[in-house]
Amino acid sequence: MLICDEYITPASLAEAFAAMETHRGHYRVVAGCTDTLPWAREGRAGDVEIPVLIDVTKIPELNEREVGDHRVRLGAATPIQRFLDDAALGCAMPAMPRCAVWFADDQIRAQATLGGNVVNASPAADATPCLEAHDAVVELSSAKGKRSMALRDFITGPGKTQLADGELVTGFECDAFPGYGGSFEKVGHRRSLVISVVCLAVMVKLDREGRTIDDTRLAIAGIRPVPRRLREIEELLRGKKLSGALLEEAADMPLDLVQSRTRQDYRRDVVRGFLVRGLIAAAKRAGASPDALTQELEAAYG
Amino acid sequence: MVDIRLNATINGRKVSRDAKPHLRLLDFLRDDLNLTGNKEGCGAGECGTCSVFVDGVLMKSCLMPVAKAQGAQIDTIESLAKSGELSVLQKAFHKAGASQCGYCIPGMVMAATAALRANPFADREEIKERLGGNICRCTGYQKIFDAVELARDVQNGRLPATALLETDTADGEVIGKSVRRIDAPSKVSGRLKYAGDMTMPGMLYVQVLRSPHAHARIVSIDTSAALAMEGVESVITSADVPGKDGFGVFVHDQPIMARDKVRYVGEAIAAVAAEDALTAKRAVAAIKVVYERLVPVFDPDEAMRVGAAVVHDYAPDNITKHIPIRVGDVEAGFAESDLVIEENYSTQAIEHAYLEPEAGLAYVDHDDVVTVVSPSQNITHHRHMLARIIARPISKVRFIMSPVGGGFGGKEDMIYQGMLALLAMKTMRPVRLVYTREESIISTAKRHPSRTTLRMGVMRDGRIRALAMRMVCDGGAYGLSTEGVMRKAAILAAGPYNIPNVRIDTFGIYTNNTPSGAFRSFGALQTQFATESHLDIIAERLGLDPFEIRRINAMRDGATTHTKQKLGSVSLMRALDAAEQASGWEAGAPAVRGPTRGDLAHDDVRPSVTLGARFGADDTQEAAE
Ligand SMILES: Cc1cc2nc3c(=O)[nH]c(=O)nc-3n(C[C@H](O)[C@H](O)[C@H](O)COP(=O)(O)OP(=O)(O)OC[C@H]3O[C@@H](n4cnc5c(N)ncnc54)[C@H](O)[C@@H]3O)c2cc1C
Ligand code: FES
Ligand code: FES
Repeated sequence: MLICDEYITPASLAEAFAAMETHRGHYRVVAGCTDTLPWAREGRAGDVEIPVLIDVTKIPELNEREVGDHRVRLGAATPIQRFLDDAALGCAMPAMPRCAVWFADDQIRAQATLGGNVVNASPAADATPCLEAHDAVVELSSAKGKRSMALRDFITGPGKTQLADGELVTGFECDAFPGYGGSFEKVGHRRSLVISVVCLAVMVKLDREGRTIDDTRLAIAGIRPVPRRLREIEELLRGKKLSGALLEEAADMPLDLVQSRTRQDYRRDVVRGFLVRGLIAAAKRAGASPDALTQELEAAYG
Repeated sequence: MVDIRLNATINGRKVSRDAKPHLRLLDFLRDDLNLTGNKEGCGAGECGTCSVFVDGVLMKSCLMPVAKAQGAQIDTIESLAKSGELSVLQKAFHKAGASQCGYCIPGMVMAATAALRANPFADREEIKERLGGNICRCTGYQKIFDAVELARDVQNGRLPATALLETDTADGEVIGKSVRRIDAPSKVSGRLKYAGDMTMPGMLYVQVLRSPHAHARIVSIDTSAALAMEGVESVITSADVPGKDGFGVFVHDQPIMARDKVRYVGEAIAAVAAEDALTAKRAVAAIKVVYERLVPVFDPDEAMRVGAAVVHDYAPDNITKHIPIRVGDVEAGFAESDLVIEENYSTQAIEHAYLEPEAGLAYVDHDDVVTVVSPSQNITHHRHMLARIIARPISKVRFIMSPVGGGFGGKEDMIYQGMLALLAMKTMRPVRLVYTREESIISTAKRHPSRTTLRMGVMRDGRIRALAMRMVCDGGAYGLSTEGVMRKAAILAAGPYNIPNVRIDTFGIYTNNTPSGAFRSFGALQTQFATESHLDIIAERLGLDPFEIRRINAMRDGATTHTKQKLGSVSLMRALDAAEQASGWEAGAPAVRGPTRGDLAHDDVRPSVTLGARFGADDTQEAAE
């Protein structure tokens, strides 16, 4: 049970920083609360008494959304559901709607925020590989000023970030990839409401004919302390002719990706299957020429 | 504490009220506004019993601090059938038989309402996906999906509204007909009150102190600091039990709170009744217990060895119950068999996970009748046990069975009712205890984990000549239903097969694990899992079809079972035929199964797990959109 004496909902960044200053050392920031409330239960943190909760979801800056041709800027309080509701956003970040549909369930997605997912920094956080694939930059603010850093520098380990005392994540800036096909592969114990054992974000851009790979973005999570970009595979695929053999070659690259302590062999098998399946799905959504991928391959990995 | 002045529109009515800042929207709705239609099945976002609309968007109210509802429009299950007239979806749930225990149903109806609002033409796959955040433990979901499809079709005019009505049953004939359940309207509307929904004026809130140790002697319990707290009305321990303490379905070996020692993690030690739940929680935290750790035993085979830690003094060998069955001469049977195969099988502990966590309300009425209202699956037995424990005549003890939000055997044990009765007697006020999901999992019975060694002798033509089985079950810290489970396990161990020579031993063993108890199938699962798996292995070795080997050995009408029961009619052959047909079985021994698995490429076999039905089939369009 999460017990507080006061719940503050600031309407501006200035109000938030003032509250953080007044209650220094006695507050906790919350957004959607979907990580915080289950954390304060028996078997995890148990009953937790925090004098002041500061809810950042009503701060206008944290709800901003700008979708341009090259850049996307999203406030930290963006609910995950927005990636399913906002077509322009889904187009600029094509793996994200697929990620969102696997994220928790229809209801929690309406509350869960992008900022909370990143700051919570679970190795299984689903939005983080997508953001990593977009070379996301984290924007941070405090009463003293602003700074920003790459997501891959911001998340330092399970549950660990570079967030400083008195600081808030205000938003994320990402590369936009309109025209790419996106996919998101995820496996857990069941379909909804499940923590990823492995998850993979894939984006593919093809040439006009749908035969040559112009560009790909891949990032994986769940199998190591922090998400990892798969640049080696991106390099291998760039400029090559799309074929089943190529995708299988990519999946077989000897990368030692799995660092989890448990079920390593299982995770290795999954990673290989996900790479092929994710690339096929993303390539199809990017308009792959029907004869570029064989039916057998699709049947094997579909 | 700085209260929040909450202004919101709830079920169409303006509400302006002070609320404690730590409340979740669910607490505010249920406790402050008495809107108990939505439930708390887990409190952690996992089950969906708490789903309500917030500004038209369905959300889990257990994950939402009440302050987030400021200025919002909230609609609970009570909003759907406000004037008593059920919504189309609620009627469809009634018609399709989609509610069983009903505990998940208010949340399911809300999720279904949200699904059809999001897409009035959603197909079954999309409906499944959109209902993914709601769990049901009773129905297996199919009837729920049927109901949503029915409502969709009525709403879209594809089916007439009369499709929601009762099918005519000529001359009141109901057997073999699909009739609507009479209790469904109360469940689909959220009006049915489970124990945790009930309140009484002046009611106190109960919280329980539980053991962090698996095996320890209780040196002392100091409740003085808890008792001194403002708002605390009573604190009880086993020292307060006036009569002969002890409950259990067969042996009465479990005190209502730990006496002298604790035997498993989660065992109740003391209980507090206070003016509100938070005060009761704080009082529980203020109780000081001094323990002397004892060596625990967690493995039933180890517990059977000489010198192992003893869980109950009355059973120095840690055996709760041993059930032996002997028929014919097993060794002779093995000697004459063409093939003898031995294997080991094990099954794990399983939680019932009924959606309704345990809850109960107790009071002493005007005639001094100690009354306990709870979803007990065994009220008459509980009443007799409680009378002895509280030393009152049976005429002064009453049990009222509240609607059971799923039991599956898990609510047969009098785990918490004794504490409630005692607190009601001490305070002379109504007291209510509602378990959290975690408490329910940690403190109540599980299915018995088992280890089985099975030896079977068969002739080359598939006839079984002998069966020897030894099963050791982890009964956990207390007896509960272990004796009955061991009996049933032994009685059914040899299956519905004619076997002339049988030797069966089932053992229920005390350990310091969570107690095991009744769970659907009551022991049959553990032994049958071994026997049926064994038949498949033998079929493979003999080159027989698995159905065939069962037919060869099947008991027929008039057979006598291993425990000398004469069977009038035996439906096994019909069941085998039906199963073979329905599964699209590909005939042959297990080893010769080819690549064209009829049983896997069958209509009723679900495709592999995937999500994204809402994106539609034509994926390739997306990038262009
Ligand atoms: C049933 C269930 C299913 C779930 N399924 C998934 C899933 O499929 N995939 C997945 O990735 N996650 C899942 N989650 C986890 C959770 O929903 C997500 O991590 C979510 O994105 C957290 O966001 P929030 O806003 O709710 O976080 P909160 O609980 O509000 O915050 C989490 C942490 O982030 C901090 N924080 C939040 N916002 C800021 C900010 N702007 N600046 C600084 N610090 C901040 C908070 O202080 C806190 O430490 C699930 C959770 C539940 C309960
Ligand atoms: S999801 Fe809220 S009570 Fe289970
Ligand atoms: S009817 Fe769904 S849990 Fe019982």
